[in-house]
Parts: sequence; C-alpha cells; structure tokens
Amino acid sequence: MKKLTYLSAAAATVLAVSLTSACNSSDGGSDGPIKVGSINGITGLFQTPEVPKAVKAVFEEVNAAGGINGRKLELISKDDAMDPSRSGQAARELIQSNGVVALAGSSSAVDCGLNRATYSKEKIVSVPAIGVDPACFTSPNIAPVNPGPYALTTAMLYYASETLKRDKVCLDYTVLPGSGGGIEGAIKKWTEITGKTLTHKNLAVGQGDPTRYLVADKNAGCQAVLYNATVGPWFAQAKTQGMQKVDFILAANSYTDANAKTIPADMTAWAGTEWQPYTDPTLPGNDRWAKIVESNGIQKTAFSQGAVMAADIFVQVLKTIKGDITRESVTKAFKEMKPINYPMVGTPYVFGPGNEHNPIQGSRFVKADKGGWKVLPGGFTVPGKN
Amino acid sequence: MVNSVIAGLTSGGGYALLGLCVVLTYRLVAVVNFAMTAVGAMGAFVMVSLTDDGMNVWLALPIGALSAALLSGLLGAALVRWFSGHRERTKAAVTVALFVALSAIGLRLFGSNSTGAHQFPNPFGDPVFTVGGVVVPQSVLVSLAFALLITLAVGLLLTRTRIGLKLQALSERPSTAEVVGIPAPRLAVGVWAGVGAITMLVIVLVAPRLGGDFGALSGLISTALAVAMVGAFRSLPLTLVGGLILGCLEGLSSSVDSIQKYQGVVPFLVILVLLWWRSRREVWDTAHSR
Repeated sequence: MKKLTYLSAAAATVLAVSLTSACNSSDGGSDGPIKVGSINGITGLFQTPEVPKAVKAVFEEVNAAGGINGRKLELISKDDAMDPSRSGQAARELIQSNGVVALAGSSSAVDCGLNRATYSKEKIVSVPAIGVDPACFTSPNIAPVNPGPYALTTAMLYYASETLKRDKVCLDYTVLPGSGGGIEGAIKKWTEITGKTLTHKNLAVGQGDPTRYLVADKNAGCQAVLYNATVGPWFAQAKTQGMQKVDFILAANSYTDANAKTIPADMTAWAGTEWQPYTDPTLPGNDRWAKIVESNGIQKTAFSQGAVMAADIFVQVLKTIKGDITRESVTKAFKEMKPINYPMVGTPYVFGPGNEHNPIQGSRFVKADKGGWKVLPGGFTVPGKN
Repeated sequence: MVNSVIAGLTSGGGYALLGLCVVLTYRLVAVVNFAMTAVGAMGAFVMVSLTDDGMNVWLALPIGALSAALLSGLLGAALVRWFSGHRERTKAAVTVALFVALSAIGLRLFGSNSTGAHQFPNPFGDPVFTVGGVVVPQSVLVSLAFALLITLAVGLLLTRTRIGLKLQALSERPSTAEVVGIPAPRLAVGVWAGVGAITMLVIVLVAPRLGGDFGALSGLISTALAVAMVGAFRSLPLTLVGGLILGCLEGLSSSVDSIQKYQGVVPFLVILVLLWWRSRREVWDTAHSR
C-alpha cells in the first residue's frame, strides 16, 4: 500500500512537472501577452544597452494603440554579457521557460553562432537588431536588419575603388575568431564585381601600437585603407607617420560621436554606416527613430536604429497573421512574408524560406569633419546594383 | 621588413618601462605582481574620467597617480598582513586573483573603448626624426629617457643609499629585517604604493599609442612579464634591453604575412624560450654538482 502511495505521488509529480513544462513551453496561445525574446549585450565587452530599451519603446507604442489583435506585446530581454554559456542558457530559458513566439532585436555578439541550431530545432525565428557573427547571415532561422560586417566590407571596398577611384586599396582589420572566412568572402565578392584586388591586407591587427601596421601600409603605397579597430591611437600615429593623403575608411562600429572628435583635422576619414547616418535625424526613416528614442530618453546611436527597425519589421509581420499568434504562425509568417521597404536601409527587408539570410545590403558614407560626421550625398552604395 | 622592426622598436620603450616596474616590485618586496598593470590602468582611467569631465590634466594626473598608489598600497598591505610568511608562488597566485578581479571591475566601470569614449592626452605626439620610412615621435624618446632614468636611479638607490640597503634586506629576508629594526611592513607598503604610482604614469604615457581600452592596458602585464624575464627579474639594464627586443620582435612578426596572425603569441614565446633556456642551465649545473 505504502509502495502504491509512493508510486502515485511520483506519478502525480511527473504529471505536474510535465504539465508545468507544457504550460511554460506554450508557444503563444490565444490570449495573454505575446511574449517576444531578445538576447542583448548589456554588460561585457560588447555593450548595447540602448537596444532592448528601444525595442521596448516600440512595443509600448503598439500596446498603447491597442496591441496586436487585442493582445499586448511583452519583451523579455536577457543579458548574455558576451559569455557563451550565458547566451546558450538565455536562449533555452526564453524558448522553453518563457515560451516566446520569436526573438526580435537581439544584439549579442555571440548569440547567432551559439544558438542557431537551437532556433532551427525549435522552429523559432530571430530578427536581430545587430548581426555580427557570420552565423547571423548563414542560418535558416535568423535574418538581421543590418547589412553586417561582410556586406558592409564589400560596400566599403566598392566605395574606395569605384566612388573615390583609388587604385591601391588596402585593408587592416581586427577579425573575431571564426569571422575571417566571412571577410575573405566579402573581399572576393568585391573582386568579382570590380575585377580589382587588394594591394595589402592584414586581418590580424591587434591591440597595441599601430605604427607597425601603418608603416606596412606606407610601404605598400596604399591610397585607401579600410579599418575596423580602435580609432584614436590609429589616427594619432597615422598623423605622426605623415599619412594625410590616405583615405581611411572606417567600419560602422567606429561611427560614433566620440570617435569623430579623435580624428585630427588634417586626416581624411570616412565611415560606412549600416542604416541612414544617425547623426542626421532628417534622413528618410530617421524621423521615426528619432521620435522614439527622444521621447523615451534613449541614447542616439546606430544600434538603437537597428532596434527600432527590428521592432517595426516584427510588428508589421505580426499584423499580417490571421488567427492565433503562436510560435508556429509567427515562423510561418516570416518565412512567407513579402519584402518590406524600410527607408532607413539600402535594400528591402525580407526573411523568406532560404537557408541563408542577408537581406539588407549597401552602406551610406559619412566623412569626418570638424570633430563631427558630415553626411555625403548620393544615398546608399549597394555593390553590384545598377 | 627593416621598417617594421624599427616601427616595433618605437613601442619597445613603453614595454621596457612596464618590465622595469615588474622587476622593481620583485627586487624590493619579492613579489611577482600580476595585478600591476590593472592597478596602473585603474589610476589612469580615474585620471582620464576626470579630464573627460573637464578637469585640467595637470590636476587630474596627480589624483590618478594617488589613486593608483592608494590601491596598490592597499593590495601591498593585504599581502604583508596575510601572506608575509608565505612562499613567493603563493603571493604571485594572490596577485593573479587580484588581476582577474580588478580587470572585471575595471571593464565594468570604464567599459570597452571601441567607441572612443575616453581620450588620453598625447602631449608627446609630435615627430622628432625619421629612420628609414618610420617617423619617430617624441613619446618614444620620453619613454626611453624615463626607462633609463628608472634604471639608473633605482640602481643607485639600491647600491648607494641606506634606504636601498634596507629595501634589499626587506626583499631578501623580511622577518630578519624586522628583527634588526627595519620597519618592514611600512617600507613594503610604501614600495607597493610607489610602484603603483609609477605604473600609472607609465600607462598614461603609453595609452595614446597602445589604445585607451581598459582591457588592453591591463592585459599589458603579459608583455611586462616577458620583458622582466629577459632581465631574470633582477637586472634592470637587461630588462631595458628586453623591452626593446620585444618591440622589434612584434614589429617583425607583424610584417611577415604567414605569422602575423600569431603576433600576440610573441610575449609568451619569449617567456617559454627563456624558461626553457634557464631551466636547461639549472639542469646542467645540478648534473655537475652531483
């Protein structure tokens, strides 16, 4: 009898646990808030605290207007501090415990690479605000709203050779582990489009005195140098080495107000941006972003542009869903969505059914001028697009 | 390639200075201080946070140096209080733990600097002369002069002054030194504080060239230790030369395409080769003494 009681208790516990987990892993349901996840770097080496704030602000705007089919949007943001174990745990918690229908506005440097398999297995889509890792652009269930470092590199090379008409183009990059192939692919794409090759390349620019890299560029006769690492010491030493006639083209991560102040007045520096340059709120699409961040006291950065865009795209696709908003219906809607023209970027955004997604292409360029950035006319440079 | 070696040499002065700070701590208080650059970086970032807020650099500099001295003195006091009777390796292990803790705190407080948020003043950035295709700025000469000054001044202090004698006694036999009336704990804490302030000044000097990122600056300890190993943690002139050699090796490794990916390994390779070389001699000596 006693044994039977134990067995009954055990069975009841198992049942309770399975019911709880079934409830927790519910993928949306038809009432209550629509739970949306995101994995962000709030602490650690790659910090983007403004991203979840901006996504939340867009969701609150939607909620204030009645939500989606009467249901409110709820953002659950997890900080992974660029720590692989925390990132994996965050994805599992969001999907299994929190029961999110999708991920929108992620901005972690390690999320895509670590969690791509989980997203595919769980049949859940992610629309990151910022894709950094190559896996963000080569996974069936992830499609970021930024061009990413690879499409951007092709655009920067194209700008150097075709717009600035420089014959000797060089590249000095700090490359994250596992990203070297992506950069090589971006260079190859530029060669295919233009028929040109790099004069000098260093994909191992490290921390420390940049003089040795600059001297190598000088020796190679570089007329334009693409660069993606710490700006201040680089330009201070480039000035010392007398490289005032070289066009330095910086990647989007260097496009900040503070960096503009570190560039000496007699040096020439350009920066490739992933969205319409954030320093000019009057540009197409920037008015909406500026309104959201200003009214919510959020820092004005390019990252917060990606956040607003990811949230807007997510809401637009959600509004097309007829019937219940569940993980399954959201995934289906993204895989079958029609391209959305979002004025803040160079090409339309589409998720689609493919195994790789890099829908946003092209870059708009700004020039360092008197301690700030001057937006150049000419719109987006999209390599290979006539 | 020659130009790259010369370019590397320009950062050698800074490396020499950091190596000298390691040797100085070891010779005076018999501790291999892994937390040294993290402490210096803390002071440097206190300074740069004040200058970013508009404070005059000449006012912020002593405040930063003082904060590094206080922090270093505090660590020294903790080591003297709780670990004075322990072996050198235990003390070194304590400083490794402190390095990890300080790096985490520093990164949290001052963040990464890819956005260019903190700007270190660069008063010695103007060019002085050109060697090959490399323009040499004033900061290189200032680093070298500072390194020479430390080498000479500390050498004289240790061999020609009474306090130097006391410091040597303190490093060799702290307990005996205390018995003969040398105020060992106070002197040791003073040394820690002094080295903390000097390290902060060195970090401020090299930061405009090496990047104003807390992680990068505190991580300079690996280079500093490699340089100190060249001088076997004793010889100040050899440490000075070690800094210059390491700079040249870095420049050389970045100029060769096939090995440029591995240039960060240079300090570790130097440490490894020197350890092997020295242990080889010890084995040789041991074999002959039998």
